[in-house]
Amino acid sequence: MTAEAVIQSLASGLLMGLIYGLVAAGLALIFGLMDVVNFAHGEFLMTSMYAAFGLYLAFALDPLASAPFVAAAMFVFGAVVYLGLVRFAMSASANAGMVQIFATFGLAITMRGLAQLLFTPDYRSIPHSWLGGKTLKVAGIFLPAPQLAGALVSLAAFGALWLVINKTDFGRALEATREDAGAVALVGIDKKRIFALGWGLGGALVGLAGAVLATFFYIYPDVGASFALIAYVTVALGGFGSVFGAFAAGILVGVVEAGTAFILPASLKYLGIYALYLLVVVLRPRGLFGSL
Amino acid sequence: MKLNRREALAGAAALAASLGASGAYAADEIVVGAVFPMSGSTAQTGVDARNAIETALAIVNAKTDLDLPLAKDAGLTGLGGNKIKVVYADHQGDPQKGRAEAERLITQDKVTAIIGCYHSSVSATVSQTCERYAVPFMCADSSSPSLNKRGLKFFFRASAHDEMFSAAMFDLMDMLRKQGQKIETLALFHEDTIFGTDSANVQTKLAAARGYKIVADVKYRANSPSLTSEVQQLKSGNADVLMPSSYTTDGILLVRTMAELGYKPKAIIAQAAGFSEKALYDAVGDHLEGAITRGSFSLDLATKRPMVGKVNDLFKKTAGKDLNDNTSREFTAMITLADAINRAASTDGEKIRAALAATDISGDKTIMPWKRIKFDETGQNNDCDPVLLQYVGKKFVTIFPESGAIAKPLWPMKG
Repeated sequence: MTAEAVIQSLASGLLMGLIYGLVAAGLALIFGLMDVVNFAHGEFLMTSMYAAFGLYLAFALDPLASAPFVAAAMFVFGAVVYLGLVRFAMSASANAGMVQIFATFGLAITMRGLAQLLFTPDYRSIPHSWLGGKTLKVAGIFLPAPQLAGALVSLAAFGALWLVINKTDFGRALEATREDAGAVALVGIDKKRIFALGWGLGGALVGLAGAVLATFFYIYPDVGASFALIAYVTVALGGFGSVFGAFAAGILVGVVEAGTAFILPASLKYLGIYALYLLVVVLRPRGLFGSL
Repeated sequence: MKLNRREALAGAAALAASLGASGAYAADEIVVGAVFPMSGSTAQTGVDARNAIETALAIVNAKTDLDLPLAKDAGLTGLGGNKIKVVYADHQGDPQKGRAEAERLITQDKVTAIIGCYHSSVSATVSQTCERYAVPFMCADSSSPSLNKRGLKFFFRASAHDEMFSAAMFDLMDMLRKQGQKIETLALFHEDTIFGTDSANVQTKLAAARGYKIVADVKYRANSPSLTSEVQQLKSGNADVLMPSSYTTDGILLVRTMAELGYKPKAIIAQAAGFSEKALYDAVGDHLEGAITRGSFSLDLATKRPMVGKVNDLFKKTAGKDLNDNTSREFTAMITLADAINRAASTDGEKIRAALAATDISGDKTIMPWKRIKFDETGQNNDCDPVLLQYVGKKFVTIFPESGAIAKPLWPMKG
């Protein structure tokens, strides 16, 4: 193994890691805001990918161009899921935590079933996109253009998210609601509205992730499962409640995955991620950047 | 979390199944169970399998002019014209779910035989369950060579296993070598369940015996979100021939990642599975001009045997695609099983087993390029010579063995 191979591994890991971070961002946001784990996160991702694919079929729109539309649609979808389902699950009089889990879980099964019914289980992909199959070669290191674009979108999304959370009234309301959902009512913040917008924002982030993935990944009703598991690990690793923890943890997961595959047989490449996850759970249960 | 989610899905499926399975079938129906992946990451294969089996049933249960067993009469003449009904169960690619579903089909639905299961790992558990209940298991499309070597009495497989398929691949390479091609090194790329593992074991043995050097042996985790590190290992090995044993999802990601990392193998010889699926070529066919895959079936045969084209048309009407390696084997397995049940003139497991053991269908009464269907004492048909197909100009042409070849192999591939 040469130095070039090591750098290639790291670079690929970094690109994938940024995308993992983007996939996990919406999950982390919603969890941080209201302590609800969205078990349908993978299905949100799957829906976004189908949306990008649908826009490609209907208008020959490249996934990168359709990303804003997919994000907007998923914003609405996220808010609707909150208003139509999660809101009621949260107001369950007994065992609200379990009710939330079952509600989002049921949603996941429903969405997956509907996708199989409507779109058949066939594997779809976008054969020709602006960046598909293009590769940037820098000093012998290959940086696939779709992943590179995905990584840039991820950076931009996290940048924008930082601005929204730290520089806007909405962001401050979001933070305040996160800290004490009861007290914010006293200063005139409508908790339900903030929650709905939070779900919308989470949906929009996963919408971006889905559009980015659609440029280079195959699409089918179960595709969410491959990414959702990594997203859950990423969120737990980064620290529950920390959106930027998810960003850092995403990168870490990507690099550790690539590094493990470099040292161990490739079939064991998730060993590194889960070992790291266990280590963090034992030594620092709130996660690397957790504030809870 | 994945486990919980999967298990809950299984629970829901089992519940739905138990509600649906009232066991109420018409008295004149012979019930056969089919265990395939109807949901999960290989659901598409299961859905296609269902279409293949239903095509076979349409031929068995109605009068047609096709030259296939049971095609000329309506229903099974041995059982007073009774018709076969297939109940489907979903294993999601999970051996444990497969076993539970087989058990349910046998005890609740009282099926007379089971057909399945695509994944070799699932066929392994399902056939064991069938053995316990003395119910024949017709292995349609699982190719792991270990399956028929477990001393099971009720296991039957009409199509070839990966030892036979791999031997054909090495025969082709030997032939090309003799013609002056330089083929020295191989790279194996295989998924981590029985299918990939057994396939790689066989290929490793054959490589040693025939004097090829394996320069990369990459065992990967199925359905990974990324195969970048794996492809890098293949690339640094830069073997003369890349030999993947992959299901569709990983196959698509493999080819795409190879293109992104600038790796162009000189040749690909695939252990079918994903590489016989239309979805893979729709997605990444541009990079696969000249890729070779093993197969049991070739539409070429329609030029010599018109019946193949007619059956393909029937299948295409419901499935919207041509028969391929998998669906042709599922179709043939169903016909073979129906033929045995008819000759047994009974729904008793032991009698059907005896009839299966006595099966002798000549090749020209099938849609396959085989000599015949006749099972040895392990339940394996040894007269089902595999073919090698090459993807040229957006379709498959038979290139090996020479007797059935339509074209000379294109070597190296164009990619």
